[in-house]
Amino acid sequence: MKIARLSGLGCGALVAALVVNAAGCATPPRPRELDAYEALKRSSNTTEASKRSPDLVTSSDKLGAKAHDEWESNDLEESRRDAIMAQIKLKTALALTEQDKLKAKIEKLSGDQAASQEELASVSKDLSAETENLTLLQKYLDARKTADADKARLSLQMTADQQKADAEQQRLSQQLATEQKIAAAQLSLHTAETVDANKYASGEYRAATDMLDKAQAELKDAAFAAAQASADVAKKNADQAVELSKPQYEQAEETSQNHVRDEALAHDAAGIPGVTVRIERRGELQRLVLAASDLFTKKSTALATGHDDVMDSLAALIKKYPSYPVQVVGHTDTRGKSGELLALSAARSQSVFSALVARGVEARRLMTSGMGGDEPIADNHSTAGRAKNNRVEIVFLYH
Amino acid sequence: MRQSTRRWTRTLALVAAFAVAGGAFAARTARAGEEDDLQRQIETQRSGVPDLERLDELHAAGDEIVLLKSWLDEAWSLRAKHEYDDVREVLDRALAQAELIRQKIAASKLRAQADKREAALQETRHKIDVTRKALSDTTIKKKALEASSK
Repeated sequence: MKIARLSGLGCGALVAALVVNAAGCATPPRPRELDAYEALKRSSNTTEASKRSPDLVTSSDKLGAKAHDEWESNDLEESRRDAIMAQIKLKTALALTEQDKLKAKIEKLSGDQAASQEELASVSKDLSAETENLTLLQKYLDARKTADADKARLSLQMTADQQKADAEQQRLSQQLATEQKIAAAQLSLHTAETVDANKYASGEYRAATDMLDKAQAELKDAAFAAAQASADVAKKNADQAVELSKPQYEQAEETSQNHVRDEALAHDAAGIPGVTVRIERRGELQRLVLAASDLFTKKSTALATGHDDVMDSLAALIKKYPSYPVQVVGHTDTRGKSGELLALSAARSQSVFSALVARGVEARRLMTSGMGGDEPIADNHSTAGRAKNNRVEIVFLYH
Repeated sequence: MRQSTRRWTRTLALVAAFAVAGGAFAARTARAGEEDDLQRQIETQRSGVPDLERLDELHAAGDEIVLLKSWLDEAWSLRAKHEYDDVREVLDRALAQAELIRQKIAASKLRAQADKREAALQETRHKIDVTRKALSDTTIKKKALEASSK
């Protein structure tokens, strides 16, 4: 105020003293504070501030206008003070407006944040689900891959096992074939042994034995082909031995059997009462002769009674030994004509033949003949001798 | 009469003297009361400055606080010079400045809150973008796996 007063006085003095010098009465420089206030007002949106804080803005405007007037009135100190106050009020109004804006912004941000959080939760949920799906898919694929690998490995293993089994089977097959051949050779050798090949074909038998031993050794060494070949040779040798030995063996066996049978026959024949038994040998032939005397009376051709037991025993003996051919031969003493004696002896043999057939003996096994008195076995000059010579002989021909 | 007049005059003079002395005393007493009142106001405002500084955590009103302090100092100086009208004017301005400071601090705090929320929102949106990208990548990967598994 002092400055303003001094300025007013100075101006008056100057106006009074120097009319031409009007520079002293010109508008003074604007106070910085007024410039700042007006710049603030220009740069700010005071419309919103007026709505929010009308009192403050109105007061600020008034103070600003007053400061402007004071400046124009050259009352610079007052202008400066009022401009400062106008700035303070305008800034306060602007700060309040900014607060409202910020509150609204915060509210909107809160809403946006809530929406974003919701969206984030939704997307996160989708991501979790998708990740879970992916994980499951990955696990499934890994499991499938592992399964495929296992399958391939098992397939390879199975193939290897199959090959191994095939090889083993082939080996077993060869072994079996070899064993079968060896068994066949052993059988042949056994057969050869049963026909005494070691006696009748010793060379072939020994060769077969040696080859069989060789085959068994080769089988042990798993040399199946060689073993089979050796077994084949052994079998062939054994078969040859059998072939060579069989006739001799059979002959020997038959001879042995016939001998036994012959002895049994002789033994059985000796047990028949009223019959004399003797064995006759004519060259290689041998025969058992059963002589039955007293079967006929005088010149009769019919069997006398009381000889059924003898005939039964003879028939049973013939039937017991069916392999022997049997001759029924009639004999007489020498009393009478030769032709008659022959006919008598033949008729008597025929009677015995009939009696035997009647007792079940096969007719085809029996041959009848009459020898008359040509083959006496006793002296015909005595009664006892003639009785012996009147006989029928049952002759078993040995083989 | 003259004595009476003189006495009256003396009395009047005495009364006048008392009146003048009383007036002077009253004026001095009134001035002293005003000075104390202004000092109290200045101190009250000064004591509020640290609170404002504490409130201004974000230093949004640093210049205004400096200005406020200088104005309070100016008021104190003017009080010492007994320029009470100027003191009152400066104190009014300081009061308005303190209110401006409070509003600016409030606005700065709101701004910081808004910035924080905006940053949080941006972060959330960024997370959404990242999550969407991850979802897209996962879907692509899944489809590729599905295709390779057929």
